[in-house]
Amino acid sequence: MTALSAHVLEEIRELPAKYPQSRSAVMPALDLAQEEMGHLTPEAMTEVAQALQLDPGYVEGVATFYSLFHLEPVGKHRFYVCTNLSCMLRGANEIVDHVRQAIGVSGSEQVSPDGLFSYEEVECLGACEYAPMMRLDHEYHYDLTTQTIDELITQRRSPTPLAPTLSPGGERVKKPRAPRKKKADG
Amino acid sequence: MAELRGSSGEAPNHILTRWFGTPDLHRLETYASKAGGYSAMRKALLDMAPADITNEVKTSGLRGRGGAGFATGTKWSFINRDAPGPKYVVVNADESEPGTAKDRYILENSPHMVVEGILIAAYAVGANQAWVYIRGEYDRPYRMLTEAIEEARAKGYIGPKPFGKEYPLDIRLYRGHGAYICGEETALLESLEGKRAQPRSRPPFPAVKGAWGRPTLLNNVETLATVPAILNMGGAEYAKLGTAKSPGTRLLTVSGNVRKPGVYEVELGKTFRHVIMELAGGPPEGRKVKVFWPGGSSAPVLPESMLDTTTDMEALAAARSMGGSGGVIVMDDTHCVVKAAHRLLKFYAYESCGKCTPCRVGGDWAVRTYERILAGQGSQVELDILQRVSDGLQNGRCLCGLGDSAGWVIDSTLRHFREEYEDHALRHECNVGAVMASA
Repeated sequence: MTALSAHVLEEIRELPAKYPQSRSAVMPALDLAQEEMGHLTPEAMTEVAQALQLDPGYVEGVATFYSLFHLEPVGKHRFYVCTNLSCMLRGANEIVDHVRQAIGVSGSEQVSPDGLFSYEEVECLGACEYAPMMRLDHEYHYDLTTQTIDELITQRRSPTPLAPTLSPGGERVKKPRAPRKKKADG
Repeated sequence: MAELRGSSGEAPNHILTRWFGTPDLHRLETYASKAGGYSAMRKALLDMAPADITNEVKTSGLRGRGGAGFATGTKWSFINRDAPGPKYVVVNADESEPGTAKDRYILENSPHMVVEGILIAAYAVGANQAWVYIRGEYDRPYRMLTEAIEEARAKGYIGPKPFGKEYPLDIRLYRGHGAYICGEETALLESLEGKRAQPRSRPPFPAVKGAWGRPTLLNNVETLATVPAILNMGGAEYAKLGTAKSPGTRLLTVSGNVRKPGVYEVELGKTFRHVIMELAGGPPEGRKVKVFWPGGSSAPVLPESMLDTTTDMEALAAARSMGGSGGVIVMDDTHCVVKAAHRLLKFYAYESCGKCTPCRVGGDWAVRTYERILAGQGSQVELDILQRVSDGLQNGRCLCGLGDSAGWVIDSTLRHFREEYEDHALRHECNVGAVMASA
């Protein structure tokens, strides 16, 4: 029994051929793993390494370098609130305090008790003309106020589920696979 | 889509943003019919020799808009077009310099302008394959660029015979995963190769040994987006804009304490007073500009008294700062410089890749020193430590500019706002009105 499902491992094994050198597949592969698991467990990273014929320590080294790879569980919905200077000057710290209070985390916690939300303070997200701003799952939200935060949280707590969200960094469009071509004769 | 905040429409200085705001400009059809899109590429492939294209860019005087401001045409000429084997164009779309949003502004408004610029550059330097390294958080720009590439592919502009010319061209995207250091060109290449993004020592330069060991041209999004306009209007005409050494226009992201934050296209040589007080509407009612970062958080700060500094690179160098990424961060007199510097040092410490000791150690050291000062535990010793750490981070002691940038934040804020530092460190008080939640 593997941590990652067979079709994800299959997809990962097909990645190296898409790059001039196979090592470039490591981040797209970790994306696929994270998309399935929510976060990167040691088992998942080891399986990625095996599928790509890389050393597990190497894969973990890459995963730990980049902030969009999560090594700990995250919420179903993830707040990434910018607190760098342009946003800080326009009230980002108050937004962070409000998000924490609204999703019910304290101290160094980042995930809400029900697992529905998590939050992170992040560095500049490149939308400074709309400060304070944040990324919630895969969408930017601008000119934040405590009210907009409350509304976004209420919507996501409501019993009618929103469209399912994908894992950070892993927004893919699944295309129907073309039937495999037979190798040309000869 | 959120309302456009920044330049759009007809104006003598709107070279890139002239058609921004036009409905459906992100569609190839609109880009072609309204903005004359892909006419520059057609001209480049059918009527110009590759060397002529590079010369035209040289004539324009265009300088890289990513941060370093290197002469674009000269950079192109470093690639040996006739060298056998694959060559690459790698586009730096990893915009993450604090206070900078202009590449996002371009990608969301006119992705085809970027695609066209990439294809022209690839043809000019003898590459068939381009890679766009785009930051992972840019979901919408990623989608829009992907769609633009698909449209260009459907038209044949990307493919085996663009405009009937036997010159295969392709563009692919690679997503970043959250690391400021990837904006540094050799760190970006490491990341593209599937590694931890730690800068390489140079030489060899990417033009000789870049992506996957092959000759590689690395350009920023805005730089390449300017190329179609240069070919359309002619390099000499473009060079008439701006100053002699910093020709043309560039996009300045104005953020922080201004009434109209936005991405403004500005002819180089205009003053920051014009940019901050006129275009961005100045600080909120009853407040005054105290300090601004003229080119992203890495550019040494300038106080209000230097608002008449002009936006060209020479004037900024003379003012002991730099044009950097064009991110103009404005802070008003209700905010504390020491707290702002502390926040930025936290950023540089967090983003240090850990390869060079001065940067790996110096950033954290500075943060801890700021924390003591802000907790009312400072003394002359802390001020001396900050100056020493700042000196230790600068002047080529690290492989890339991240360490220098961290040092410049300390150095420039100390230089211009010594008294505020002394208030905190020696007198244990903050004499600035606004109380900011402790960072």
